[in-house]
This record gives sequence, structure tokens and C-alpha cells, in this order.
Amino acid sequence: MAAQRKPSVILDVLCSLKLAIVCLSLLMVLVVACTLAQVSLGTNGAVSMFMRSFLVWWKPEGWRTSLPIFPGGALVGMVLAVNLIAAQIRRLAFTLNKAGLWLVHAGLILLVAAEFVSAALQVDSRMPIEEGQTRDFVEWTNNYELSITDPSDANVDDIYSIPDSLLRAGASIPLDGTPIAVRVHAWYRNAEMRRRNPNDPPAMATQGIGTEIDVREAPPVTSEDSRDNPTAVVEFLAGSKSYGTWLASAGLGAPQSFIHEGHTYQIALRPRREYLPYSLTLKKFSHDVYAGTDIPKNFSSLVHLVDKGRGEERDVLIFMNQPLRYAGRTFYQASFGKNDTLSILQVVKNPGWTLPYISCALVTLGLLIHFTLSLQRGQRSRQRLTQEAAKATT
Amino acid sequence: MNERRPLLLICAAMALSAAACERDTVTHVRVPKSADAPPAMPPMMMGGSGMPPGAMPPAGMPGGAMPAGQVAPTTDFPPLLWTLPSGWTAKMESGMRFATLKPAGAGKVEVSVVVLPGTAGGDLANVNRWRGQLGLAPIDETQLAALRKPMQTDAGPVALFDLVTEGKERSRMLAAILTTESGYTWFLKMTGGADEVAAKQAEYFRLLSSLHFGKPSAGEK
Repeated sequence: MAAQRKPSVILDVLCSLKLAIVCLSLLMVLVVACTLAQVSLGTNGAVSMFMRSFLVWWKPEGWRTSLPIFPGGALVGMVLAVNLIAAQIRRLAFTLNKAGLWLVHAGLILLVAAEFVSAALQVDSRMPIEEGQTRDFVEWTNNYELSITDPSDANVDDIYSIPDSLLRAGASIPLDGTPIAVRVHAWYRNAEMRRRNPNDPPAMATQGIGTEIDVREAPPVTSEDSRDNPTAVVEFLAGSKSYGTWLASAGLGAPQSFIHEGHTYQIALRPRREYLPYSLTLKKFSHDVYAGTDIPKNFSSLVHLVDKGRGEERDVLIFMNQPLRYAGRTFYQASFGKNDTLSILQVVKNPGWTLPYISCALVTLGLLIHFTLSLQRGQRSRQRLTQEAAKATT
Repeated sequence: MNERRPLLLICAAMALSAAACERDTVTHVRVPKSADAPPAMPPMMMGGSGMPPGAMPPAGMPGGAMPAGQVAPTTDFPPLLWTLPSGWTAKMESGMRFATLKPAGAGKVEVSVVVLPGTAGGDLANVNRWRGQLGLAPIDETQLAALRKPMQTDAGPVALFDLVTEGKERSRMLAAILTTESGYTWFLKMTGGADEVAAKQAEYFRLLSSLHFGKPSAGEK
């Protein structure tokens, strides 16, 4: 008997309205905390810590480990979604009269699910492109990679990319298809660099420009206007032979290189790239202002899209609130520079971008059906009352 | 049965979440050379391959292809000219490297051309940096003197260094350093597999012997 009651207790809790209210209250607390934390953590840091995590962690001063102190937005959202689903299945009768409410609930569940899809699958990147330049790759906004490029081939470059998530001190990473392996000696999400002074301790790098540079770890930047300077100290090995320890940093300019068995390997730490099967050429960037003022009126980029795979080639004008949507990505006009010759496009890839629209349509349709059915029921009820009243008078 | 349905949905939601957690891996892509342009955003500190510590790249390095048989002059330093051996191609670079010359054939041999102001750190620092790139131990001034092979060109005296690694598949670098009276130093480095470099060595020497300053002749344009 007890074994039979147990699932129903769990289901009672999962389906309860109280749980929904608790979840909504927790979300309100999280939203406030996340907003306040943006001052010290920046937008991305705060959203990652409070909204896109299952638990909010806190590390007391002097402690080695962090403690979970609050449920994160992901956990609360998941419980809320489960609550909605469970309550709908258990309480709502599957009848025509309740069709509107079914649609409304389905729309709300889809809205919560859409946030999970965005959190898991959305990739924010950007494409800086100068007038006359052609680009066939985007750079991720907050992720970096250690790239090792073999330019030996006459027509193509072989690029091996190690994402920053794998660059952990002590890691040994083989480059499949080459005899080269990378050993990570240090990784800094943000680092300050300066020319070494004679009194500085020995440099970690034994080769390249890094031998002349003093590197110190710095706290991650929180301002939206500045970027981290991710830096790695890595050693390149071919079997038992070492090509020395090198400093790779987004703050360094041209790639450094070493040569193994006639192949040159260029090293660079750069924003993580994703190559596209099509290219954009910036034909013209326009920065319009209101006559007689410096007040911006419009920013626009005239780009030429070439997709040989699809046989597509056309000009596209991207301007404020009028992005280019192509092959699952959306290109927004985001920024500019270099005396109005450089355009920076924000590129968003979100497989679930249509879900909020579908969700809103479902909720709207559900409410229309629900109110129409309620109106009909009301009218029928009034007619019945009128007829009964007429009968009573006659 | 109906009471179990929500539990199944919870399991499905958790499985979906777990599936969404994609693990990062090392990737390999092959991209056409022209498409992989250098980043448009300026770096915070300059440095790197072919560039001695403290040196800055010269201004006025145009991009794009260059006609065979010459080097495009810039306004910052006297134009260095050369005659490409038959079948070679040349391409101007937009980064640190001034130009890249490719011998005929689809081998991996190439010649990088870099120009820097001043002595660019001196011969010893540069040779030891190149030796480091090849995985060779550094040398001192005495060993450097024994390694240096002088060569006279119309552009000025050239110091030639031949660096080769040991092992089954050896790498080789033929490096020429041309110090000019104008205060700029030119580096022309041929790198590749030892056998491939040996096959193109004679053409590389012909290229070096054709170096000169002045206006391009009719034959060079």
C-alpha cells in the first residue's frame, strides 16, 4: 500500500500550485540578484552564474571549494516546466471544452523549453569585416581557441583548433593527423603582459616573443566595452622531441611558428572561429547622421553574399533592426570602427529562435478558443435562462 | 499508468538536457588561403614569427597578389627588386610578412620575405630564434661566424645561413639577411623539407643574386 502511495505523493508535489508559486518566487529573486551582479560580473558572467546554471555557487573568503547557496535559473525553470506538464496532464480533462487551455499551457511550456534550447544551443559570434574584405568565418564572442596552422599546402591552410575549454594546466592534447602534441603549462582567462625587466623572474616561455614578456594573471573584465586577454603557455612536442615552450595570447599580433619535418606550424590564440560554407564581402559601410549634427541616424552595411553550394549570389543591405537571416544565422549591424571603414556584425545562431513566436501564437490561439467557447457557453446559458423566464411568465 | 506519465516526461526532459551538453573537441579544418584573412581587430601587442623582439613592422604593406618578377615599392623604405625564377609565384602579405614566394610545383617549400627597421636584433638573435623554431640548440658568436656564408648582390652584402635538423624527415632553412644602407634589414628565408629545399636551392641562390634596388626594369614588370 505504501509503495503505491509514494508516487502519488511525489506527483501531488510536482502538480501542486504551491510549487509553481515557489518557482516563480525563486525566479524573481534570481532576476533581482542577476541584475545586481551585473555590476561586478558583467552581463555574461551574471547570466551564467544565476540564470544558466543549476545551482548558484559561492566561495567564502579563504575557502578552497565553493558552496551551493541557491537554486539556479536552469533548475528552477526545469522544475517549473515539469510542474506545468504534470499539472496539465493530471488535472486538465482532454475535452473540446478545454482545448483552449491545453493550447495556452502548451504555449507556456514551449516558452520555458525555448529558453533551455537557447541556453544550450545558441551561439553568439561576430564578424568584423572591412570594406572590400571577404569573410567566410565568424568569431565567437566569449570563447577562444589555440590555433595551429600548417600553411604548407599551396592552396589551403590546415588549421587545428583547440577550444579554450580544453586548455587546462597539465593537459596533454594530441593533434590528430599530425605528429604534434600540445602540453599546456598555464592558462589564464585574462592576463596582463608587459616587457620583462632584468629583475623579473625567468619567463615561462623558452621560445618566441614570450621569452621577452612578463605575464601575470588578471581578474576577468566585467565591462562590456573591454575584453579579456586570454593567454596560454604551451609546449609543442613531436614524439620525444620538444620544440620549446611558447607564449600564446590574444594580445600578441602575428602568429609565431616552429618547423617540424618540413612543415611550418603557426601558433595563435584568437577568438574561436567557425567557418561558413558561404562568404560575405563588405561593399560599403554607411554611417548616416542627422543634417548639421553628429547624432547618428542610421548604420548600414551593404554586403555581397556568395554561396556556391546553393548557387546563391546577391547583395544584401543590413541595417538597424533589419538583419540578414541566412542558413540558420542572423547577422545584425552591431558596431563599426576604423574611420567608418570597418563594420562589426553580430551573428547569432539559435536553432530555437522560432520557438518563442510559436509559443506566443499558441497562447494567443488558445485564449481565443477558450474565450470563444466560454462566450458560446455563456450565450447558451443566457438563452436557456431567458426561455425559462418566458415559460415562467406564461 | 496515467500517474506514471509525468515521471516519464521528467526523465525525457533530463535526457534532453544531458544531450544538449556538447563536449568541446579539437577540430581540423582546411580553408582556402585567401579566405583566412588576419583578424580585423588590432592586437594589443605586436610580435611573432619573423619579427625580432622590440621590432615593429613597417607601414604601408599592401595586400593582394603581386605581378611576377618584382616587389612592390612602399613609401617607407627603398624598393627591393628581384627576378623570380621560372615558374615561381609571389604574393604580398598583409601581416608581418612582406611577401611569400613559392617555387614551381606543389611542394611545401616557400620563401618568406620580411623587412624590418634597424638591425632587427642582430644576426645572432635571429639565427638562434630560427634554430629554436627548428628545435635546434642555440649557438654563440664563434659558431655563428663559422655558419655565416657571405654573398654579394647588387642590393648589398647578404649573410646566408643554412640550418638543417637531424632525424628521419629533416627540416631545412636557408636564411638570407640583407642589411642595407637605408637602415632596413631584409630577411629572405626558404623553409621546407631538407630534400625539397635542396631541390630548389639553386633557384633560391639565383633569386638572391638578382636582388637590387631601383626602378623595376621593363623585363621585371
